Amino acid sequence: MYPVKYHKATSIADAVAALSAGDDATILAGGQTLLATMKQHLADPSDLVDIRSIDGMAGVSAAGNVLTIGAATTHADVAGNADVQKLCPALAELASHIGDPAVRNMGTIGGSIANNDPAADYPAAMLALNATIVTNTREVAADDFFDGLFGTALDDGEIITAVKVTAPSKAAYAKFAQQASLFALVGVFVADGAGGVRVAVTGAGEDGVFRQSGMEAALASGWSEAALDGVAASEDGLMSDLHGSADYRAHLIGVMAKRAVAAA
Amino acid sequence: MDMTGEYQITAPRDVVWTALNDAEVLKACIPGCQELEKTSDTEMNAKVVLKIGPVKAKFNGEVELINIEAPASYTIQGEGSGGIAGFAKGHADVVLVEDGEGTILSFTAHANVGGKIAQLGSRLIDSTAKKLANKFFDNFHDYLSNDDSEEEEPTGQ
Repeated sequence: MYPVKYHKATSIADAVAALSAGDDATILAGGQTLLATMKQHLADPSDLVDIRSIDGMAGVSAAGNVLTIGAATTHADVAGNADVQKLCPALAELASHIGDPAVRNMGTIGGSIANNDPAADYPAAMLALNATIVTNTREVAADDFFDGLFGTALDDGEIITAVKVTAPSKAAYAKFAQQASLFALVGVFVADGAGGVRVAVTGAGEDGVFRQSGMEAALASGWSEAALDGVAASEDGLMSDLHGSADYRAHLIGVMAKRAVAAA
Repeated sequence: MDMTGEYQITAPRDVVWTALNDAEVLKACIPGCQELEKTSDTEMNAKVVLKIGPVKAKFNGEVELINIEAPASYTIQGEGSGGIAGFAKGHADVVLVEDGEGTILSFTAHANVGGKIAQLGSRLIDSTAKKLANKFFDNFHDYLSNDDSEEEEPTGQ
């Protein structure tokens, strides 16, 4: 790893100041992608601004049927939280299968969403649950947040502070994991909630996470595996790589969607 | 990996051709291009910062224009080294066809990426290369469209 300056931010204002003062400063939210990339010498930030110990950044609270999950909450803490398990068990289940235990105990929900890896699990959940991404300056609907491969609506120096999720009436996530990385080769999150019936797919799209509108329409008129029988996922715009071709991924979208519908 | 694309540009073919041969225009359109310096009529040195997710790699390379058939087609090829990150090389055959007042630009591009940056996951390389190729031609299209609006009223098409 190249030399880097480490800042432990004590407040949002402190973090914003450190980010703008650094030559090429970046946020450290859990480091499960960033630190691995730095060790490979593929990233060389001048400063790391650790936001995890800012007051109120980590932890889950519930008000009525709305969950507010702090950006620095680890995957393990989301998975084990009683409120998440009660109001949105699908999200707790998803968090319990992200990566391996080391990743789950260091990686955070805010970090995963800000990175928007095209095979990450959380972006699918955010999109399907019609979640709200809360930053230090505004609130953004998940629909407007994810913007292509590793792209988000975040401005320079903007920091995710929390996500808000309204409890759905039904939801489930089915993932076909790539065995070496445990990233989703294809993951499908289905939900019937505040945003209507939604189906979000991760791992498959060339532009990252996306909604499968054909499946959404089919499930809206009848929530059953059989409703998905006539809906073929197109391979247009899907990734082909050594782990799986676009038509294989298209097939998996159908299989995973059915598994998720059955589990919801 | 191969990529293809087609763009309709509302500018005459001569104008599009001139822009395709203008180092300043190319610099403005190549994603992450920080420097592009002409070393001859058809050769340039380039410095490009490739940023994709957490990865940020600086590439130094050479860009060359070959197979020039003014004003109808050329091949733009480039080869760059990103030091420890690896290397990237590629070329794009660009064809301009007159279409009434406008021009249809089509391209066929081929890219190779190797070294550590490729090991990071070929799952990302193909998508990234496509994204960058499309970004270049999107930028180029926007550049000419904006340039045009000063002289012509938009037609609403």
